[in-house]
Amino acid sequence: MTQIVYADNNATTPIAPEVFEAMAPYLTGEYFNPSSMYEPARRVADVVAAARRTIARAFGNVEPKQFLFTSCATESNNTAIFGTARANPNRRHVITTRVEHPAVLGVCKELERQGYEVTWLGVDRQGNLDVAEFIRALRPDTLLVTVMHANNETGVIFPVAQLARLTKETDPSIVFHTDATQSVGKLPIDLHGEYRYVDLLSFSGHKLHAPKGVGALYIQRGTPCRPYLIGGHQEEGRRAGTENVPYIIGLAKAVELAMAHLDEEAGRVRALRDRLEQELAARISWLEVNGGGAPRLPNTSNLSCYYIEGESMLFQLSDRGICASSGSACTSGSLEPSHVLRAIGVPFTAVHGSVRFSFSRYNTEDDIDHIVEVFPPVVANLRRASPYWDQVKNEPRPGPWLEAATQR
Amino acid sequence: MAWQYSEKTKQLFMDAVHGKPGTHLGELEDPDGFGEHGSIACGDAMRFTFKVHRHPTDPTGDVITEARYLTFGCTSAIAASEALCTLIEQGGYTPVGALKVSNRDIVEFLGGLPEQKIHCSVMGAEALEAAVFNWAQRRGVNLEALGVDLHMDEQDEGRIVCKCFSLSEPYIKRKIRELGLRTIPEITHAIKAGGACMSCHHAPGGLQDMLDEVWQAADQAGQAPAQVSTLISFAPLDGAGAAETPSTGAPSGEANISPYQFSKKVEHAVSEYIRPMLQSDGGDIEIVDIKDRLVYCRLTGACKGCAKAGQTLALMVEQTLKDTVDERIRVIAV
Repeated sequence: MTQIVYADNNATTPIAPEVFEAMAPYLTGEYFNPSSMYEPARRVADVVAAARRTIARAFGNVEPKQFLFTSCATESNNTAIFGTARANPNRRHVITTRVEHPAVLGVCKELERQGYEVTWLGVDRQGNLDVAEFIRALRPDTLLVTVMHANNETGVIFPVAQLARLTKETDPSIVFHTDATQSVGKLPIDLHGEYRYVDLLSFSGHKLHAPKGVGALYIQRGTPCRPYLIGGHQEEGRRAGTENVPYIIGLAKAVELAMAHLDEEAGRVRALRDRLEQELAARISWLEVNGGGAPRLPNTSNLSCYYIEGESMLFQLSDRGICASSGSACTSGSLEPSHVLRAIGVPFTAVHGSVRFSFSRYNTEDDIDHIVEVFPPVVANLRRASPYWDQVKNEPRPGPWLEAATQR
Repeated sequence: MAWQYSEKTKQLFMDAVHGKPGTHLGELEDPDGFGEHGSIACGDAMRFTFKVHRHPTDPTGDVITEARYLTFGCTSAIAASEALCTLIEQGGYTPVGALKVSNRDIVEFLGGLPEQKIHCSVMGAEALEAAVFNWAQRRGVNLEALGVDLHMDEQDEGRIVCKCFSLSEPYIKRKIRELGLRTIPEITHAIKAGGACMSCHHAPGGLQDMLDEVWQAADQAGQAPAQVSTLISFAPLDGAGAAETPSTGAPSGEANISPYQFSKKVEHAVSEYIRPMLQSDGGDIEIVDIKDRLVYCRLTGACKGCAKAGQTLALMVEQTLKDTVDERIRVIAV
């Protein structure tokens, strides 16, 4: 069995041993329902409350009750967007971006089908939003702004604190939501300080070394947002359903660990990523770092290799034990190439040839060495097979067919 | 979606990209047949070339001896290209005979393909058709007279809606319009879309949504223009002629000036009073936007990054604009 180099941490992360350890008692002996009346149940309820406090501390020590636990970031996003729409029936305009995760994109499209008007903000060739365009989009009937904090594909960071402030200064009744799934644990977020204008914030556990199946939604006190799951009194009626106790404990532990490792993320992990990009750029021609000119998460590297296709790159990487992902159509399940890279304006031949490496604190220098050794020959193999590549001159092969395909 | 390729598919792909002897990656010089096919929707493209052993008198008796491909595409697209060339060389086909090598033969040779990858094997067949057509031209063979129909099923490129039959959104929409299809069963009967797994019937952006979209648009086209939105809207900065529609919190004053006139007054005040004050300190101000009585400013030059930038704006810019233009003005620092 080949040693695995896991470089797909924006998809999901390995569970931290400390997280598993913290969860274990609640998967076995401590199974009680925190809503029950007897002593063991109260103990469990106390741990859930403590978990909530831990998380609130990590976001600038805000009031813990403002966090409710969900099953995943998708649920948090659905709750935030639909909940806001239902609470403000008189406003019918939503602002979002073209590069959101499907968990926001799809919900906004559904609102559009229900008759809401949605402004889809574009990005420039680096992946940045235009703040002036954002301001122009704000309207008196704007209900909600939902803009992701960091992009899952490129790692590009949007100035969410600034956008939230501009939104609330324009009209305090507009609700500001951010999907922070990729940034929590990688960037500091102070909901008492710089980010105090954010009303709603979503994230999930499995992107920060907790297991899949748990997420959270921050709802700033007073924000009009109707519940999505209705039933019992859990989470004060804002999210019915028996608390997923072990996973909530795991999430809190993971958040606590992530906060302790924030500096490492910005230092050592960033250095790994930067070295990978430099070494690959020195070995591979026609290589582009997507979003390379914008502020980016320290762990993400989205590379486009022109004139080859990503799925066949991933297949060869996988054969050598490297786990990564691609924006190619053939990996998407929908046969459409990455909407994010298309929005940035990456041409088709480079969108299909994109590969994303995303790291975590568990990655090492050896991992980078292995990728640097394996990846360039993978690219060379496929360029040898590509009709867009001149195999003799080892450069792109000009021609009308190529140009048509490149420009589309 | 994880790979569920057969061992044969994986092996063919690996052998091909590593240039193992006996594989068919490449391009023949001076080919007798040359064909290209590319589908941007799927992100794959193929160049296919072959050479024949020429029949001394009858070109239709030519026999394909060598076949090569260059393919831009996923693992299965490259493996399918390899399979096509192998099948053709092994079969000792004439070019016209090679057209009998079907999509199904390729899939069988590969030991099966995942359902969502079946379309990757179709590309090879189309490149082959193009190459045979090219050969016929070179050799003066009248394919039509031989009863060969080379009308390629042109598939409109775009998002694939029906994955089972690889049918794209533009294609299905065109057919809905052309054939006047009004229900999902009608679509399925006419063009197969939605006939297998049925998951595209009511998925967002699926068949029902497309039916709604096509027929709503068509129905509305025949009617009077949609009613104008009654929502209050801000006029853009250069929105000369737009009606003044004050928003919440800013009741329309007795001096009912247009947004254009208003923004002109703001700009005048900025250049007359505010900018000179800032410039005397080496700074400057940029108006990013004006909406109703909200003025969005960006401080540049020496003022940028100055800790007191926010206060400077609030106190000086806002007060000056209140004094000179309108007391309801609020300044927002971008």
